[in-house]
Amino acid sequence: MERPLSPFMFPVWYRFQITSALSIVHRITGIGLALGSILLTWWLVAVAAGGDVFATTHAFIASPIGILLLFLWSIAFFYHLCSGIRHLAWDAGYGFELRHAYRSGYAVIAATALLTVLTWLYVFFA
Amino acid sequence: MSNAQPPKPSNATALRDDTVLRRVRHLGSARRGLGEWRLQRWTALALIPLGLYFVASMLALATSDQATAAAWLGAPVPALLTILFLVAVLVHAVVGVRSVLDDYVHHRPRLVAADLLVRAIAFVLAAAGVLAVLKLFLGR
Repeated sequence: MERPLSPFMFPVWYRFQITSALSIVHRITGIGLALGSILLTWWLVAVAAGGDVFATTHAFIASPIGILLLFLWSIAFFYHLCSGIRHLAWDAGYGFELRHAYRSGYAVIAATALLTVLTWLYVFFA
Repeated sequence: MSNAQPPKPSNATALRDDTVLRRVRHLGSARRGLGEWRLQRWTALALIPLGLYFVASMLALATSDQATAAAWLGAPVPALLTILFLVAVLVHAVVGVRSVLDDYVHHRPRLVAADLLVRAIAFVLAAAGVLAVLKLFLGR
């Protein structure tokens, strides 16, 4: 069958739409969070191990790369959370009207930005 | 035996207990997947409160020293919720990554190998994380 398959549908076969862009971002953030679960488990093991293992892990988390990763993961987490709630609403049969899908999509972006900014304001000022 | 009834046509959908497609040959298998679809939604629901709880806890802990983090993880409620969070995350991730692989890996042996690798990694992470939290909980 010579039909276009999914990896490259978005930029080549479809014009840009906010809805499909949000769908792709849901997947990308999901993969990012799955990778993040490795660091999360590493941190749990490091706390249990203590000593040098914890010191090394702590130094990595507190380094510029560690902080950058935490920042990216916070965006990914809040986006995937808000977008996931949107998907659960669809699974339950709500919000399929096009204008509702657009409105909930912009709401997901706004909520992600708000939650991320509030989180990092808290980290730096509390 | 000659008057045996043919199976009745069904309008059941993938969202219900049976599927029409599972009886269709050569047009997609649809013999499995509903269980994983549900698992994905149940873990998603569980991860809304668990994820918010864990992230809120991490705000206080991410830069704390080992003794503070160990004391928090060793307490009964954080220990329980952390284990539930980690297991739910990994189950959710395995189903999610598999659905991405399904779309992008069109070579069957590679798909099976990648899926097995993801499951093995998730299994090791779950075991390691649970063991770590149990050590802190039991060693208080």
